[in-house]
Amino acid sequence: MPSASQKYLTLFVAEASEHLATLQSELVRLEQEPPAAPLWDAIFRRMHSVKGSAATLGFSRIVDIAHAAENLIARLKGKQGKIERAEVDLLFAATDALVKEIVKLDKKEEDERTITLVDRLAKAAQALPDPALTAVRPVPPPPVMPAADPSLPRLDVSVVLAKTCAAPGARALIVQRKLKAMGTLLEMEPTPAQLMQQKGGARITALLATLTATDEVREALVALPEVDHVDVRIAPAARPVDEGFPVSPPPPVVSPPQASMRGQLTPPPGRRELTPAPVDADELRPEPTVRVRAEALDQLLDQAADVMHGIARLREAAKRLPEHAAAPLEAEIDRLRRTARELHGRVMSARLTPFSSLTERLPRAVRDLAHRLNKTIELDVQGADVELDRTVIEALGDPLSHLVRNAADHGLEDPQTREKAGKPARGKLTLTARRERDKVIVEVQDDGRGMDAQALRRKAVKSAAMTQEAADALSDDAAYELAFLPGVSTRDDATEVSGRGVGLDAVQRKVESLGGKVSIRSVPGKGTTFVVELPLSVSMANLLLVQVGGELYGVPLHRVLLTTEYDLSARGGEGFEARSLVVMGELVRAYGLAKLFGLPSLAPPGPRPFVVMEVDGLRFAVSVDRLVGQEESVLKPLFPPLDRVRGLAGITVLGNGRPLLVLDPRGLAELCGIHDPLKPAPAAKGAA
Amino acid sequence: MPKRVLIVDDALFMRNTLRDIFSSAGFTVAGEADDGVQAVNLFRELKPDLVTMDIVMPYKSGIDATREIVQLDPNAVVVMCSALGQESLVMEAIEAGATDFIVKPFRGEDVLAVVKKVLGE
Repeated sequence: MPSASQKYLTLFVAEASEHLATLQSELVRLEQEPPAAPLWDAIFRRMHSVKGSAATLGFSRIVDIAHAAENLIARLKGKQGKIERAEVDLLFAATDALVKEIVKLDKKEEDERTITLVDRLAKAAQALPDPALTAVRPVPPPPVMPAADPSLPRLDVSVVLAKTCAAPGARALIVQRKLKAMGTLLEMEPTPAQLMQQKGGARITALLATLTATDEVREALVALPEVDHVDVRIAPAARPVDEGFPVSPPPPVVSPPQASMRGQLTPPPGRRELTPAPVDADELRPEPTVRVRAEALDQLLDQAADVMHGIARLREAAKRLPEHAAAPLEAEIDRLRRTARELHGRVMSARLTPFSSLTERLPRAVRDLAHRLNKTIELDVQGADVELDRTVIEALGDPLSHLVRNAADHGLEDPQTREKAGKPARGKLTLTARRERDKVIVEVQDDGRGMDAQALRRKAVKSAAMTQEAADALSDDAAYELAFLPGVSTRDDATEVSGRGVGLDAVQRKVESLGGKVSIRSVPGKGTTFVVELPLSVSMANLLLVQVGGELYGVPLHRVLLTTEYDLSARGGEGFEARSLVVMGELVRAYGLAKLFGLPSLAPPGPRPFVVMEVDGLRFAVSVDRLVGQEESVLKPLFPPLDRVRGLAGITVLGNGRPLLVLDPRGLAELCGIHDPLKPAPAAKGAA
Repeated sequence: MPKRVLIVDDALFMRNTLRDIFSSAGFTVAGEADDGVQAVNLFRELKPDLVTMDIVMPYKSGIDATREIVQLDPNAVVVMCSALGQESLVMEAIEAGATDFIVKPFRGEDVLAVVKKVLGE
């Protein structure tokens, strides 16, 4: 074993693993489409890169395998006609062997099989003619951001939103629209999305390329509602666009894995060893990146959160000072808090990982599965470059491969059945990731036989999950959701339930534990789509603080529709278990939070605050003793035995150091009995 | 010439509140609609200077109604009335062409401050 320092070894392992993961999906594409030269070049380049680094570090076995594979690839590229399955299999074998080698790099084992494999690779290569190895195609440069006309003046714009602004994200969007109407908006920080559900008083900075005079820009912005202060000045002329305050979003610290799966050969920054010197080196220079251990980022995030907690405690303490001393201190603390929040946000975005890191291995898995099942399956991944929080990525791995396997196995029919039904013999699986504001939507779609609602109803009744009447009352769409019930999804032969459901309940549990939800859309004969909806990041939460029975609780604000006050006793409603109130012209069921948790309510009779929440389109209200305020905080998971209490989502620490239990609106809905998947949903209107 | 307002909200209470606010400030309430479909029809008919638009309404949401109104008249002034926690809907409405927004619960002076600014008064 070579005496490579641990540092280089870690780097090599990370980089080579990335190459090999991408290589796998590229090999799958070899079988799916007539292989074009760029694809061959990419495959060759990866193998070559692994070989080169391994050689530098003296890992001779890796060099041997990669070298032999590289030779075979070069000859396959020159071969006329179809690529044989056996040849691709051999390349897969080489990739697998390389992965194994890399995994056990620090173990000092000899492996006889390597020698055999190298032999086989060599034999396969010898059987093919040796084309004069053409030079590897240069990698195209990364796309250069379309810049505004450099002759236009740049304006530094600073806008302070009113403290009373209740929806800073929406307000920022209006500011952004105004700026865009006056010129080319080069930067804006924070973005409207970042300001969503924040408190008022935020300061927005922007860089605008425009011919509009500074006074005119200022007047246009001052004329907007809820804008307290505007400052517009000409930016220093010498300032290049990419300096000064950082462009949002900040460049990711972790270098992203290779491009996307759709085969654009965008090089990862900092690794362009095969590229000839570019014409204009300055313009094309990639953003410098460093690799950071994921763990280090986690620690940073924790510490950033601690700083935020500390600042919140300071703020609490400052409140006890006499006003003349408190005011300047609070102003400083607020400034500090903004910086800390920004720091926290940056660490969060540094933890973002592209969706492709999840999907890279899927083409290989689907290919193997398809061969085993005697089906032909085309996998299409869209949105590979959508970025998700690392926690979400890690937690999503299992459920996602579950859904894909499920779709390949049970959703898609075999080629004969498909042809009989007038469909193309090759089944199609589409994986899509996209961002919608503060959410990420991942869809797994097949064009297979669709689900059988009647069979699912039968199944649910048979497994004693519900009565025949309840099952009959379900719409087809509601019946599909039965696949998430444990009894329905796992037991019995899969074909009877038109196949769905190996552990779909586990998938749902996992997704919901991340604060997301999963739903099913299915059309008989046309296919099924599983829709997984997840929060962009899992740890920050905007909370509404409420008091019940002398205790404080947090309610995630994204579930809160509105708060209102109501005097139910005045309506003679005391005799009812659950009552209703009118919210925005609609009757909404109301429950007592104290009663749900078995706590004493300390509020005097009379009008009482209600929090109206929405879960899966169902609205309900819970009464509390008092509304206390709003707080942004870092949500931590519950530890046993609290994690088994229904209606609780997590725990957080308040500014004054006291722990705060955070309610889980979905669990609350279940406690109220309005979100039981077995019962048909109550009609939203006329519940009382 | 007093400015003419079209008030759109499915809650009678909200419509009354807004009507009082606008009347007392010298506006003319040209019409009231309690759903999105009616809103678009009344807009076409009345050509008001200003529309206040609720978001969550039956038949057609305030966002869709706004989109259609702005298509009818790109210079239409539509102010969304949203509740706390509906920020993403408000942002959707702005992208659909809404001029500005107010957040419920609001005081009369808040509404008038926003309205006067968007009407350039």
